[in-house]
Amino acid sequence: MDIIAIITPVIIMAVLGAILGLVLAIASKKFHVVVDPRTEEVTEVLPGVNCGACGFAGCAAYAEGIVVKGAEINLCAPGAAAVVEKIANIMGMTASATEPNFAVVQCDGDGVRPRFKYSGVSTCKAASVMGLAGSFQACPYGCLGLGSCIEACPFGAMKLNANNVVEIDEDLCAGCGKCVEVCPRNLIRLDPESRVIVVRCQNHDKGAKANKACNHACIACQKCVKECPFDAIHIVDNLAVIDYDKCKLCGKCVNVCPKNLIMNIRSERKDRRADRINRENAL
Amino acid sequence: MEFTLEQYFALMFGLIFTQNFVLSQFLGLCPFFGVSKNRESAIGMGCAVIFVMTMASVVTMLIYKGIFLHPALKEYHMEQYLDIVSFILVIASLVQFVEIVLKKVAPALYQTLGIFLPLITTNCAVLGVTQMKLTELADPSYSLAQAVWYQGLLGVFGGIGFTLAIYLMAGVRERLESAPIPESMKGMPIAFLAGCCMALAFFGFQGFI
Amino acid sequence: MKKLFQGGVHPHDYKEYSKDCPLKKAEIPKLITIPLQQHIGAPAKACVAVGQNVKRGTVIGEAGGFVSAAVHSSVSGVVKRIESITHPMGMKCQGVVIECDGLDEWEVGCNTPLKENEEFTPDEIKTAVIWAGIVGMGGATFPTHVKLSPPPEKKIDTVILNGVECEPFLTADHRLMLESPKTICIGLDLLVKQLGAKKAYIGIEENKPDAFAVIDKTLKEMGSLAEAKLLRVMYPQGAEKQLIFACTGKEVPSGGLPMDIGVCVSNVATAHAIYEAVYLRRPLTERVVTVTGSGVKNPANYIARIGTPARVLLEMSQFDEVATNKLIYGGPMMGAAHFDLEMPVNKGMSGIVALTDQKAFNYSPCIRCSRCVDACPMGLLPSEFSILGEKGMYLNTKEYNVADCIECGCCSYICPSRRPIVQWIKVAKGELAKERAKKQAAKK
Repeated sequence: MDIIAIITPVIIMAVLGAILGLVLAIASKKFHVVVDPRTEEVTEVLPGVNCGACGFAGCAAYAEGIVVKGAEINLCAPGAAAVVEKIANIMGMTASATEPNFAVVQCDGDGVRPRFKYSGVSTCKAASVMGLAGSFQACPYGCLGLGSCIEACPFGAMKLNANNVVEIDEDLCAGCGKCVEVCPRNLIRLDPESRVIVVRCQNHDKGAKANKACNHACIACQKCVKECPFDAIHIVDNLAVIDYDKCKLCGKCVNVCPKNLIMNIRSERKDRRADRINRENAL
Repeated sequence: MEFTLEQYFALMFGLIFTQNFVLSQFLGLCPFFGVSKNRESAIGMGCAVIFVMTMASVVTMLIYKGIFLHPALKEYHMEQYLDIVSFILVIASLVQFVEIVLKKVAPALYQTLGIFLPLITTNCAVLGVTQMKLTELADPSYSLAQAVWYQGLLGVFGGIGFTLAIYLMAGVRERLESAPIPESMKGMPIAFLAGCCMALAFFGFQGFI
Repeated sequence: MKKLFQGGVHPHDYKEYSKDCPLKKAEIPKLITIPLQQHIGAPAKACVAVGQNVKRGTVIGEAGGFVSAAVHSSVSGVVKRIESITHPMGMKCQGVVIECDGLDEWEVGCNTPLKENEEFTPDEIKTAVIWAGIVGMGGATFPTHVKLSPPPEKKIDTVILNGVECEPFLTADHRLMLESPKTICIGLDLLVKQLGAKKAYIGIEENKPDAFAVIDKTLKEMGSLAEAKLLRVMYPQGAEKQLIFACTGKEVPSGGLPMDIGVCVSNVATAHAIYEAVYLRRPLTERVVTVTGSGVKNPANYIARIGTPARVLLEMSQFDEVATNKLIYGGPMMGAAHFDLEMPVNKGMSGIVALTDQKAFNYSPCIRCSRCVDACPMGLLPSEFSILGEKGMYLNTKEYNVADCIECGCCSYICPSRRPIVQWIKVAKGELAKERAKKQAAKK
């Protein structure tokens, strides 16, 4: 075997490779797509739960939104301050601190008493297809207890309590708002952390009727309205509603509510916050 | 040597049904299970594979018959050891090309295909189709043009067979999404079983040709 | 050979309870509540003030748009309050509560009978229909004047009156046809004249031979161009599209309306109301309501004022409140189970069914027996809807044409796993509507 028998295939392969390489080079020039490397970095930083709290389709979409469309960098609820800071570093902006949100259930039913037996699809959405008439409980405004929000929660922060009313574990809640969307009775609300006085009832029926339906129902007794020194509480459609612009979170209404449905969750939150910070520091 | 009309038909029917790359020869199973989650991306994958298969067939046959078996170079017997190496080179370049084009033209499809797009390179169906009738078409009774033409047809119909299989599979798997499947069988296990059943069904075409 | 649509089910009709009970005037209670949303479309706007005196026929709600209908007071008395009430369809709406004074006087200009042989122009007929606030009284409550105003390029050549009453238990239309065939036939003639139609049918099922005989005789005596059609018994023959097919053999295209194939369908009760509006100048203030079921001792067909609480009718029929454990407003196939006896009668409520010994069932998984597919009169795949719904994949139902579903309930009725298929379909329709709204909002 002479040397040419070795050289020839080498040359052929080299030429082949060169031609194909050239074609690819031309193609990549012609079909060039500009990709901002920061998009990837931001995607990396985001928590990756794709909860959609930011209003984008998912974490990758939000990253693109930040880099390409210049979206706000503090929209990520689950990531909270830590993530905002990281994004700010990547984007070269200054982080503006935002207060974390928590979901709050505005119902504290004491045993949601059944009015009739419901047999049908056991999701809240399906049960409320018939509107208020489909209410199988004594209170037509309260939590249905079928757990659509529990299923929707990406963080496993919701559970049913002994009264068959949903409860939120604020340790796990990231404030993404998925539960707010799915609740057909609009019982869940996103509140900033500092908003610690909550009216936990949505019953718009008149006092006597509401009282019959639930022990923790707002009977529109006006006590809280009279007590409030800041004129921040009003009865709207038979229900006490707090105007948080005026509310100074003094907690006086909490003490006078005969039904104990205005609650102050400040102390619980304080403990939780301390816990959370400790844990984050430990990490 | 000329093909008769019956032979063309046999070629088509054979590659799409009886000799289906995925369901009878079990080649190219990786993308078959990887991107058969929904019909849209399955069709995208199928088209990419048709393109790559056809182009790969044509180009490799040109190289094989035009260079390796060229009378001047025949004495080096390159067709004996250089075929797979050079074919893979061609296929890899083609896949790269498809990737570059898709990224620009259809970014959404590019996203859904993900890793499986570059993996067409290692899709054995593509290499399989180039190897399938290699010795037969290498015969001097076929001219270069004829060999390239037949090999090209192999590529087209092989690709169509692959697309058919992956599209059917995607349809089945979309339905599986809503089926009550035991926890441990969810995802790939049930997909494998479904693929099995479909292969069995395609086995029924055996004997047609 | 009688034509029959595909699918359908054949539940026992239970009409024996009330089909021989002549129409009876219901008591007028002290307080009545008239919902301002008694039709599909925009709710009526209240146009009376609290404390105002109203008479029977006084307009208390003006139509809130084109697809809407006026609401009239059904009694004379004083408006006590206007408040948010729960509508029989389940949502909240405004309702006018009127305290009756017992005089039952007509408003000026109402109840002024005209001569029988008076001639009317199409426009006069339509004006009278709008004035009287007539809506489809078979249950859908679609404003009738909208049906009477087809776009000019769509010529209506066939009018079909629905005397099928395919829902089990209900006999309201049956009794109306027996006792007042003349008004129905004249009402049909008015519809034919208004729309300029060439053909007209009254579809009646074979289980009401007496009604068929009476209507047939009346039509022949009148020399009307209309024809009474005896149809085979099958649920849901009373559904618009199925009735059109049974009478004419024509099919309404998917997503289309009967007017697309030149057909207009109305209920016999609606025809009766049109007669009253045109010849007697009476707005729609009462309707026939069947009160029946194993939970009442004396089943009956009442002529009840709109707004009468269901309790009044039930008590007239000696309702057994303890034994009854399911109360349905409307027919058992499509009606809604309720818990509130104070729910007012509205323009579309054709019956109240009180049932005893009803058990609540838990549904089991779909076994893919395809009985629902065979039963579906629209040729859909209800099993798919239920399976997708169970998984929460409501948006995927669009591919299976969930929008064509008429919610007749055949699938839920026939399902051996007792799956509440229609409920999933309702949820899916709601979800798809939400999705559409979202997409439209995004476009803007």
